[in-house]
Amino acid sequence: MNDDTLILYYYNDGLTKRERQQVESAIRSDSALAAHYEALCRELDDISEPDLQAVPSHTLQRWHDSIDRVAQQEQFRQRKPAGSFSLISFGWGAAITAALALGIGIGVYLPNDDPVTSVPAVQIANVDPGGETVVPAAFTRGVKVHLQDTQQDLANLSLDASADRIMLILQIIDQNRLFERAAEQNNSQSLARVLRAFEPILLRLAADDIAPEDAEALRAQLAFELKVMLTKLSRDTSNDRQST
Amino acid sequence: MVAILQSPGLPGQADFHAAISSHSDRWLAACLKITRNRDMAEDAVQDALLNAWNKRHQFDNSARLDTWIHRIAINAALQILRKNRPSAFEPIEADIADESDTPERMRAEQELGTTLAAALTHLSEIERVCFVLKHLEQWRLKEIADEINSDVGAVKQAIFRAVRKLRVRMKGLQGE
Repeated sequence: MNDDTLILYYYNDGLTKRERQQVESAIRSDSALAAHYEALCRELDDISEPDLQAVPSHTLQRWHDSIDRVAQQEQFRQRKPAGSFSLISFGWGAAITAALALGIGIGVYLPNDDPVTSVPAVQIANVDPGGETVVPAAFTRGVKVHLQDTQQDLANLSLDASADRIMLILQIIDQNRLFERAAEQNNSQSLARVLRAFEPILLRLAADDIAPEDAEALRAQLAFELKVMLTKLSRDTSNDRQST
Repeated sequence: MVAILQSPGLPGQADFHAAISSHSDRWLAACLKITRNRDMAEDAVQDALLNAWNKRHQFDNSARLDTWIHRIAINAALQILRKNRPSAFEPIEADIADESDTPERMRAEQELGTTLAAALTHLSEIERVCFVLKHLEQWRLKEIADEINSDVGAVKQAIFRAVRKLRVRMKGLQGE
């Protein structure tokens, strides 16, 4: 009887009832086989769950925040009476949709700096077998437009506790998620993570009961982070141009 | 602070927060063993949490929320692995001796940081995934086969090869 059969017997899976009975009777009647099986069991038992490493606190916080965010979105949708129409919300929604369409449009369709070739639509592309990727320049420009729009929206944001303010921020979060997914599809995990990192701050800014001074501080923090990100993206784009 | 959302019979925000606080290290460790990459493992847990929240009406109240999320996290990790390494689950017909210490392998060993994890880095993707799901997660062979779009025979072979390699390597590592 070979080890493969004994392994399946150990896992109690992958053998028919008849095959299991055959293994049992073989082990009972053959002391050498029984000893061999015991040794195998010991070895397999020793392959156990390693000690757990603690999750970094910022990661843990991100997961907690993500639950708060989806819960708040759900709550907001439930609270909003069906059929109600707010001209302000509609205006913001239309503006955001237009900005998103523009952002994606630029990301997808803007021609490359290369005058001969055109940039293909955003898609899973430029993946090499080693996992290193090149983010299409047009996609980076689309992200820049998105971040600039967000910067502008936040600068103009009224910090009172109106439903429109919350609605706008939740729309920014949704929009951010679209770009985050697009970044993942372009295999730019680092860019996706940066975009994701904006979410907890936006979520806190969307809280019902945030104090005006806290809201202002969060807005300033976001403005700073967005500026840093935009500078970095501009620098990367510039470096890419120089290197080509 | 965000208001607490709770519907009768459904796990609410507080339940999710409690599960995250008490079990997310276990979810992350499981996903890390599947993906061998911390970023992918963290993304898997994040995706699992959002999926679990959105599907919480499907949660069976007699089960444990953390166990349910654990299972969803494993599925998310497998999905992410499949997306990032499309050939990950292609069956291998024979043992491939691979003793080289590639940068990727050394980084994975460092990230996983344990004797078992170090030994796991020397398995192929399909061997590691099948072994982790069978030995550590106690999935049935049929479940594994269904999840990785393979057949039970291929899963068995992957597990046999994994066990053979691990028995040798674990002995070596424990003896060092």
